[in-house]
Amino acid sequence: MIDYFALALGHGLMAIALLRLVLRADLDADPLIGQLKKDTADNRMAASSAGRNAARRAKAGGRDDGDENPRAQVAER
Amino acid sequence: MLDLVFLAFIGYILLLGLKRPFLWVLLYVYIDILAPQRIGYSIIASLPVSLIAFAAAFGGWLVLDRKEGGRISVRQGLMLALLLYCWWTTGHADFPLDAETKWDWVWKALLFAIFLPFTLTTRARIEALALMLVLTIATIVIGTGMKTILGGGGYQNLKFFVNDNSGVYESSTLATVAIGLIPMIWWFTRHGTVFRPHWMVTGFAVALTFACLLVPIGTEARTGLLCIAALGILLLRYTKRRLLFMMGAGVLGLSALPFLPQSYYERMATLAQPSGDESASTRVAVWQWTLDYVAEKPFGGGFDAYRSNSFTYVMPVKQVDGNTTTVTYQPVEDKGRAFHSSFFELLGEQGWPGLAIWLTLHALGLWQMERIYRRWKGVEAEEEAWIAPFAAALQMGALVYLVGATFQGIGYQPVMLMLVGLQIGLNTYCTRIDSARALHQRSEKRRAAIDDKLRGAVAA
Repeated sequence: MIDYFALALGHGLMAIALLRLVLRADLDADPLIGQLKKDTADNRMAASSAGRNAARRAKAGGRDDGDENPRAQVAER
Repeated sequence: MLDLVFLAFIGYILLLGLKRPFLWVLLYVYIDILAPQRIGYSIIASLPVSLIAFAAAFGGWLVLDRKEGGRISVRQGLMLALLLYCWWTTGHADFPLDAETKWDWVWKALLFAIFLPFTLTTRARIEALALMLVLTIATIVIGTGMKTILGGGGYQNLKFFVNDNSGVYESSTLATVAIGLIPMIWWFTRHGTVFRPHWMVTGFAVALTFACLLVPIGTEARTGLLCIAALGILLLRYTKRRLLFMMGAGVLGLSALPFLPQSYYERMATLAQPSGDESASTRVAVWQWTLDYVAEKPFGGGFDAYRSNSFTYVMPVKQVDGNTTTVTYQPVEDKGRAFHSSFFELLGEQGWPGLAIWLTLHALGLWQMERIYRRWKGVEAEEEAWIAPFAAALQMGALVYLVGATFQGIGYQPVMLMLVGLQIGLNTYCTRIDSARALHQRSEKRRAAIDDKLRGAVAA
């Protein structure tokens, strides 16, 4: 009798836990590491295009072209 | 009937695993510890459920998993080295047949422990594995605890689900594992996400802790008592009100005394005087024999090398005749006594190289958990607050295991190897967070620098 009770309780809890786990997306993709990676990628993207633009401005002889559309510059090239 | 329930449960996990294959890893953990195929007796006993679960776990990981962030660690390398070394000693064993029998389960336990960290790539998975370990052991411990309270205990008397002293169903092993998991149980009451902190979770933890503490009492396993003492000392480090804790433990201990059976006192009394008990006095003799043995064979004698030992020693033998009890000291011969200590088990079976690998494996684990605990101590962000207490729980579990292992041959215990896998998984996960964060900070700095430059250019 005790054995059946212990088995039922243990298995019942495991069944609930497993069902809850199946419904969780973060079981397969970690949110913390995912977010850090995404932010890093965003920063890199921003830094690299901004970096390109800054370098181009410096090349243009210190002309104040801050208001120009960066896309137009790319098209010029 | 019971068989059908077990099969239905296994089928349920196999089905759920189709969506998230990691669940098959948990299925293997469940089957390996609880051994439902040995609790049941008809259909399930004839099915290779353990093999099916392992194939599903490994296949699921290989084919369907993202395998993100998986990397091989030093400790996995150590286990691999131990596995290969054990394979070599099995080929050169003193007792090839017995060695083969032990090798049959040891390689599986080691291989699974090497594989396990590769699957532990997210916080949820680390918690899921810990939860599965706790709940599986809880299933066994709840029954044991209830039987003890209702009076059915006694050394080698208490009945488990499986009564062949195999795996975790050996009283001292179960006691060690149950006590070692107590810190983990309490971790769930504060940081669990599958079952969120709730009074019901705390209530369950209280009852389960009580049941765990009852295991060494119900089975009268002396090692368990040492494990409880070790855990008490370890907990002092994490307790704010130490004096109150010590007084509380003392009161709890004293109030438990009247409920203990007389046989318990008698068995525990032999802790202090090892000469009075064969099991205790042969230990020392076996350990001495092992040292002599490896002096001749420094590379070990393969699994079950202890079978060649035999000793005679003088022991007090009690004879009761009516009202008089005479104690005479007689020479007793003993053959093939087991190692009764994991340290000597490893030394005798795998020689000095095997012992060195095993010790490095566990020492490195203790050090890594300590490093993680110190690194994340006091971090309050929800995503990371769980790490330090988890590392502390794993470290305490490992230390309790090592205390228990000093007096039992459980050097390759599958549950403990799973805990090693869990430690490695946590360590790898923490390393990944740190390196992701370092990259993130570098990219932030670069972005800020370029923004500054840009602003400077605009101002000019």
